Amino acid sequence: MSANRVAAAAVIAVAAALFALTFGFEKMPEGLSGGFGAEAFPRLVLGVIAGLAVLLFVPGAQSEPQARIPAVVYYTAGSLLAFMALVPVAGMLGAMFVFLLGLGALWGERRAWLLLVASAAVMAAIWGVFVRGFAIQLPPGFWS
Amino acid sequence: MEAFLGGMALLLDPKILLVVFAGTLLGIVVGALPGISGSTTTALLLPFTITMGPVPAIAFLGAIYCAANFGGSITAILVNSPGDPSASATAFDGYPMALKGEAGRALGMSAVASAIGGIFSVVVLIFAAPLLARMAYSFGPPEYFALAVFGLSMVALSGGDSAVKNLIAGAFGVMLATVGQDITTGVERYTFGVYSFTDGIEFIPVLIGLFALTELLEQAAQLGKRTALAKLGAVRLPSWADVRKCAKAISLSSVLGTFIGVLPALGATTAAMIAYVETKRWSNNKQEFGKGAIEGVAGPEAANNAAVGGAMVPTLALGIPGSTTTAIILAGLLVQGVRPGPHLFTEQPMLLYAVFSSMLLANLLYLALGLGFAKLFARITLIPPQFLWPAVFVLSVIGAYAPNQAMAEVWVAIAFGFIGFFMRRFGFSPAPLVIGLVLGKLVEETLKQSLIIFDLSWGGFLGRPIALTLFGLTALFLLAPWALQRLRARP
Repeated sequence: MSANRVAAAAVIAVAAALFALTFGFEKMPEGLSGGFGAEAFPRLVLGVIAGLAVLLFVPGAQSEPQARIPAVVYYTAGSLLAFMALVPVAGMLGAMFVFLLGLGALWGERRAWLLLVASAAVMAAIWGVFVRGFAIQLPPGFWS
Repeated sequence: MEAFLGGMALLLDPKILLVVFAGTLLGIVVGALPGISGSTTTALLLPFTITMGPVPAIAFLGAIYCAANFGGSITAILVNSPGDPSASATAFDGYPMALKGEAGRALGMSAVASAIGGIFSVVVLIFAAPLLARMAYSFGPPEYFALAVFGLSMVALSGGDSAVKNLIAGAFGVMLATVGQDITTGVERYTFGVYSFTDGIEFIPVLIGLFALTELLEQAAQLGKRTALAKLGAVRLPSWADVRKCAKAISLSSVLGTFIGVLPALGATTAAMIAYVETKRWSNNKQEFGKGAIEGVAGPEAANNAAVGGAMVPTLALGIPGSTTTAIILAGLLVQGVRPGPHLFTEQPMLLYAVFSSMLLANLLYLALGLGFAKLFARITLIPPQFLWPAVFVLSVIGAYAPNQAMAEVWVAIAFGFIGFFMRRFGFSPAPLVIGLVLGKLVEETLKQSLIIFDLSWGGFLGRPIALTLFGLTALFLLAPWALQRLRARP
C-alpha cells in the first residue's frame, strides 16, 4: 500500500475513533444547546476530515516513497522519554544536565571535556535566567 | 495620526528599544541557523513573553519575525542550506554567487532588498489594516464564520506535499480546538479526565512540540551532513549599477510579497518562490538565473520580508493569521488577553501603532546589523548539532513548563513533537494544524451564533452577500489548483 493510502487509512481510523467518542459526551436539554449540541461541531469537522481522506485514496495522488527512519531517531525519541522519567528522580535541572551529556554523546560527540563544559554552560545559563531571573520553580528531584 | 505618533513615541521607551534590538538580533541568529526557523523561535520564546506585557511581547515577536527572514538568507547564500524556509529561493542564485566569490555582494543586496520589502509592507500595514478593520466593523458572526473558513481553505495552498493533506491537517487543528468545555453547554469534550484539558489545549506546548521538538527529531535523521561555509569577504552596500539592475525586481517583489502575505495562511516562503519566478519572467537576463543572478537574490528577499507586514494585516485587523508565524503571534496576543480584530483599532490603537513602529525599527536594525556583522552571524551556522539541539530541547522543556509550571504541558509538547515528526514523514505539514488550532474556536463560535441568528437554517447564509462572496472565494481557491492541473494535463 502506498504511503498516501496508509496515511488516509490512519486519518480515517483516528476520525472514526474521535467520532465514536462524541457519543459519550454528556447530553444536555435542547433548550440549553440551542439545537446545536456539543457533539455537532466535532462531528461536522470529522465528516470533512473523512471526506478529504477519501480523496487521498484516489489513484494518481502524488506520494513519495518513504525513506527509512534512521535508528538514531528512535534513540533520540527514547532519550526524550528517558528525560521525562528522570525528572522525578534527579529533578528537572539534574535531568537536563544528564540529557545534554547523553544526547550530545548519542549524536556523535566524543570529546567528553567539551561536552561537560558546554552542558555546564547551558545549565548555568538556564539556572541564571530562569531560576534566578524569572523565579521559575522547577520540579525538585527525589532526594532534594 | 495621534495614535501613530503615540506608538512611535513608545519606541523611546528603553525597554521597548531593548526588546526590539534583542528580537532583531535573535531573529538574525536563529534565521541563520539551519533548522531553527522564525516560527520555531517565536513558538519557543512565546512563553517567556507572557510576563512582558502586550506591547513589548508583540514588538519582540514581531522583530524576530522580521529579522529571521533576512537571517535565513545568510545560510542560503553561504551554505546553500536556507536557515529559514522563506530563504529557499534565495539559495538558487545566492549560492552560485558565493561560489564565484561574490558572497559579500549577494549578502549586501539581500540586506537592502529585505529592508526595502519589509519597510514597504509595514507602510502598507499602517494604512491597510485600519481600512480593513473599518470594513470589518459591519461583519456579524456569519461573515466572520465565512472569513475563518476562507482562512482555513487557504492552508490548501500553503505549500507542503498536497493541498488535501494541508486541509486535513488544518481540520485536525480545528478538532484540537474543540478539546475542553463547550462554550454553550459546558459539556466536556475529549478531556479524558485530565483536569488541565478542561479549559482546552494550551497553545504553547503544542507549538513548541510541533516546531522545536519535531525539528529536533528531523535533525536526528540528518546527522552526518556536513556544513561547508563559502568564503565571505566584506559585506557592502550594493553598487549603483546593482541597484539599477534590481530596482524592478525589488519593486515588483515588494508588491507581490505584501499581497501574498495579506492572503490568509500564505506566508513568506510562498511569496519568495512566486517572486523568484516572476522576477525571472520579467528580467532581461533570464539566462543568468540559477548561475548567480543578483536579481535572483533581490526578488525573493524583498518578497519574503514584504510578506511579513502583509501577513500582519489580516492578523491584526481581522484576527485571521496571514502565515504560520503570525498564527503564533496571534496565539501570543490571545495569551496576553488581547483579541485582535476591528475593535482593537478603537480600543488599543497605541498597541497597534507600537507594533507597526517596532517593525519599522526592526527592519532598519537588521539592515545595519546585516551589513555590519554578517561575517559573525555566518560563523554561528557552524555550531555542531550535538551541542545546539540538546540545548534547544532544554529550552523547549522550560518553555512548555514555565507558563503553568506543570509537567503535563511538557508531556503535551513531547507528544506533539512525535505527532509532528510522523506528520512530516507522511507529507503533512504541521503549519496548517497550527492555523486550524488558532482559528478553531472562532469557527465554532461564529457558526453557532450564525445558526442561532438563522434559526438553525443553513440557508440563512444565502441572505448575507459578504459571507456568500467569501464562500465563493473559498470554493475558487479550493478548486483552482485542481482545475489548473486538469487544464495542463489536456493534450
